[in-house]
Amino acid sequence: MDLDQLKQILELVREHELAEFEVEHDGLRLKIRKDATGALAVTPGAGAAVPAAPPVAGAAATPAAITPAAVPTAADIADSEIELAVVKSPIVGTFYRSSEPGSAAFVEIGSTVKKGQVLCIIEAMKLMNEIDSEYDGEIVNIHVENGQPVQYGERLFAIRTK
Amino acid sequence: MTFRPDDLPTELAEALERARPRLGRLGHRLLFFSSVGSTNDVAAGLAATGDAEGAVVVADAQTAGRGRRGHTWFSPPGAGVYVSLVLAPAHARHSASRAVSLVTLMAGVALVEAVQQVTGLAADIKWPNDLLVGRRKLAGILAEGVARPAAGGYMSFVVLGYGLNVSPAAYPQEIDERVTCLETELGRRVDRPMLVAETIAVMAERYADLLACRFDAILDAWRDRSPGSRGARVSWESPSGIKSGVTDGIDDTGALLVRSGSRVERIVSGEIRWGA
Repeated sequence: MDLDQLKQILELVREHELAEFEVEHDGLRLKIRKDATGALAVTPGAGAAVPAAPPVAGAAATPAAITPAAVPTAADIADSEIELAVVKSPIVGTFYRSSEPGSAAFVEIGSTVKKGQVLCIIEAMKLMNEIDSEYDGEIVNIHVENGQPVQYGERLFAIRTK
Repeated sequence: MTFRPDDLPTELAEALERARPRLGRLGHRLLFFSSVGSTNDVAAGLAATGDAEGAVVVADAQTAGRGRRGHTWFSPPGAGVYVSLVLAPAHARHSASRAVSLVTLMAGVALVEAVQQVTGLAADIKWPNDLLVGRRKLAGILAEGVARPAAGGYMSFVVLGYGLNVSPAAYPQEIDERVTCLETELGRRVDRPMLVAETIAVMAERYADLLACRFDAILDAWRDRSPGSRGARVSWESPSGIKSGVTDGIDDTGALLVRSGSRVERIVSGEIRWGA
């Protein structure tokens, strides 16, 4: 199973809100389970000897989103291969690409950005947090859709730095 | 359009002077506008200049008052209290991230306490920080986090704006049924300058609690003032559609817990509606 397939599976589980998912393929067993709060715990492992993973520590605080850093995704590898800067979420919240519904997005794929420029807003506890670019460069990927929940450390943007 | 600050009206200057010993870290810098676009925009501009913690912006009217996600905050001349503060909750003695997470609840508590102090009216807090009387909105808070260059890196500020309805106004029809004001609720005039000064003073006191990490004091006060955060049927928009459930309190970060079937959802953002 390659990382692209793994990523697809995670997205399917999330999209269809599956409580549990298990697959065995070419000697790799993968089990994905949501805990009571909807956080996803991922257990990749070889063969059948892998015990089911307990929910990741702190998972109760992460509803309905993939626990970050649990598995390297294809995007991780793709981004690092072409040496992109990755902007990650500093908080848990809701991701917004524009200042308000109906207004233009702060940035699009292909946008040139400057250090300090606002990339998005993440709302948490009704605090609208502006997330600024730490880099000069070009947006080459936007990993999250408008209005989606994001977790601490979740990748938001990839920037080809200048 | 550029707005220039005006001289403080005498009554407001006197009220602030009386509150001065309680203003703590707030108000060393105070701008007053008889009319301004948005007090939050002015405050964000002050934050950009660096050493802005505690700056206060007061307006008698806003021509472009804002609420959450593009909502308009109707702010006609003389009808309300429109104030923005520049706070730095990340300055908390420790647990900076928890202080940042609780800053909006802190503001709701301070506002409800100040209103009661001046008028005797005990409003309710609707998660996370709207002030309601019954089902009608009395006050709202808009908090915006901004990072600005400062000595040795970036400094995070929270621009915290609040709008408190004081006098009856010709509200747009679409919100008329859902808003109220102090004078309608009380049936008498309210001293607006005193209200401005008291809200800033109580914000300063609760902000001091936040910076000193007295989080339980803030959470306990919030819970006392928010009967709807327990046992009320609510609905909210989630990425997978409208969900509903029954409120089950807030956790120690201020997130709203909602029981939905066998699950407990932990809500950190978005708008809660009463009813299924």
